Amino acid sequence: MELQEYNYRFDELEVSTDIIEKFMGYQPGQAPEPMPQLIREVLNQAHDLCDIRGGYVIKQDIAVNRDDKTLHIHGVEFDVKKIITNQLKKMDATALFVCTAGPGISNYSKELMHEGDFIKGYIADVVGSEIVESAMDKIQADLENQMESQGLHITDRYSPGYCGWSVGEQQKLFSFFPQDFCGITLTASSLMQPIKSVSGVIGIGENVRRKGYVCNLCDMVNCIYREKKETKKADRC
Amino acid sequence: MEELYGKIAHCVEFGKINLASPYPPDMKGQEGADELTKKAIDEGFPPEEVLKKGLVVGMEKIGVKFRENKVFVPQVLMSAKAMSTAMEHLRPFFESGAVKRKGIFVIGTVAGDLHDIGKNLVSMMVKGSGFEVVDLGTDVNGQQFIEAIKQHPGCYVGLSALLTTTMVNMEKIVAEIKAAVPDTKILIGGAPVSEEFKEKIHADFYSRDPQGAVDFLNRSVA
Ligand code: B12
Repeated sequence: MELQEYNYRFDELEVSTDIIEKFMGYQPGQAPEPMPQLIREVLNQAHDLCDIRGGYVIKQDIAVNRDDKTLHIHGVEFDVKKIITNQLKKMDATALFVCTAGPGISNYSKELMHEGDFIKGYIADVVGSEIVESAMDKIQADLENQMESQGLHITDRYSPGYCGWSVGEQQKLFSFFPQDFCGITLTASSLMQPIKSVSGVIGIGENVRRKGYVCNLCDMVNCIYREKKETKKADRC
Repeated sequence: MEELYGKIAHCVEFGKINLASPYPPDMKGQEGADELTKKAIDEGFPPEEVLKKGLVVGMEKIGVKFRENKVFVPQVLMSAKAMSTAMEHLRPFFESGAVKRKGIFVIGTVAGDLHDIGKNLVSMMVKGSGFEVVDLGTDVNGQQFIEAIKQHPGCYVGLSALLTTTMVNMEKIVAEIKAAVPDTKILIGGAPVSEEFKEKIHADFYSRDPQGAVDFLNRSVA
């Protein structure tokens, strides 16, 4: 069971009007018209616009080097830096993951923007981000269930580009997956296409734990996700 | 006269597009930027004043509120929509040359990067302050910027990047532009970009928000 692949329909995910309102800056349920109406319209269309796919590879041959703050997975060195090394130091295995909402939702957003429908275009963009995060939440929950059944636990997720880990290291991360896995490709500048995609690692072991809200670890004070998800298990720093 | 300008500015600031628009809730059933701008033009108000004392004032106010985190992206977009709807009534005057733009701003997301929401926001705010904006889209390389600069001599240029890996392309593009058209003023922005990075790559201005770009451009053409 080295490589696991998942496919989701939009209605299997938990993407609500409330959560979209939250990421647009409003208190859930408090966004004035026409926002709720437009959010509902986008959510109703989302089903046809998405190709939600993701997956992970589990590797057992790993080592965490606390001196030079690196992670060694199957002979590949990742320079994850201090914060992530600390969070993963007790892991015995790791799951490298990728996930995408597919290209449709971003294309739709671009089209709307181009036509001058700025608000709906922006809402579609936010919905796309939430779809990929929410799909990854589901994949992570499944991984957690499987590991728990073996008496193991998992950590939060950590992504290249966060907490000092260079976004360029995605090149190494992608080398663990078959080409075009889930329809995701990586450009030379380490941009994933489709744009609504995420990548990273999750620690696995007897002595690791999910901490949930990890924003306090990160120094990105202007992040729009900061403080917003404290009530939900959040994996973005 | 001043009262109508004030009303137009208010509509833009609060994103009141037109009579039919339900937003903002406390202006439901009232005329919006669309109707009021048309009224001003129909009544013979100088179009230049309608722009500068009405529309631009409203956009400036929302830009400042956004910078101060008092409003969020959707409110800015509502204002931009109100502004662009009203601008349709001014279009003939721009085309005839009766009303002049403050200058031209060429913007694009740099090569290797496809993010565009932030770039679009900057583009809308700069347009809303009275500049003509040429949006080259995403994944734009140095050559494409240079061609646009040659087509619009004297224009200002904005570069946007959202990843540290594409931010480095800014350095290359800035060098290429400065070599081809040395006097070009280049503004940079995007989540990972900073003042120090601006210094390092010899760009002319950095701002973390669109209003900073507007202020810089206004100062430059003053
Ligand atoms: C939403 C989001 C996502 C979403 C959607 C991405 C998208 N844009 O479609 C998802 C979840 C998919 C995602 C994925 C990733 N993300 Co992300 N994401 C964000 C987040 C939280 C918000 C981006 C956003 O939409 N902002 C709203 C817009 C309006 O803001 P903006 O684009 O920054 O523009 C504003 C200013 O920057 C400025 N501006 C912009 N351009 C210009 C130009 C000029 C001239 C001027 C003056 C101003 C200016 O004005 C705009 C309006 O205020 C940011 C963090 C943040 N707070 O910015 C991270 C962020 C952009 N992501 C980041 C990273 C690392 C990633 C991933 C690589 C992580 C991973 N390995 O999975 C992937 C990459 C995806 C890919 N396709 O390759 C990093 C990038 C920095 C870096 N380290 O390289 C950020 C900054 C977070 C961080 N770590 O600090 N992400």
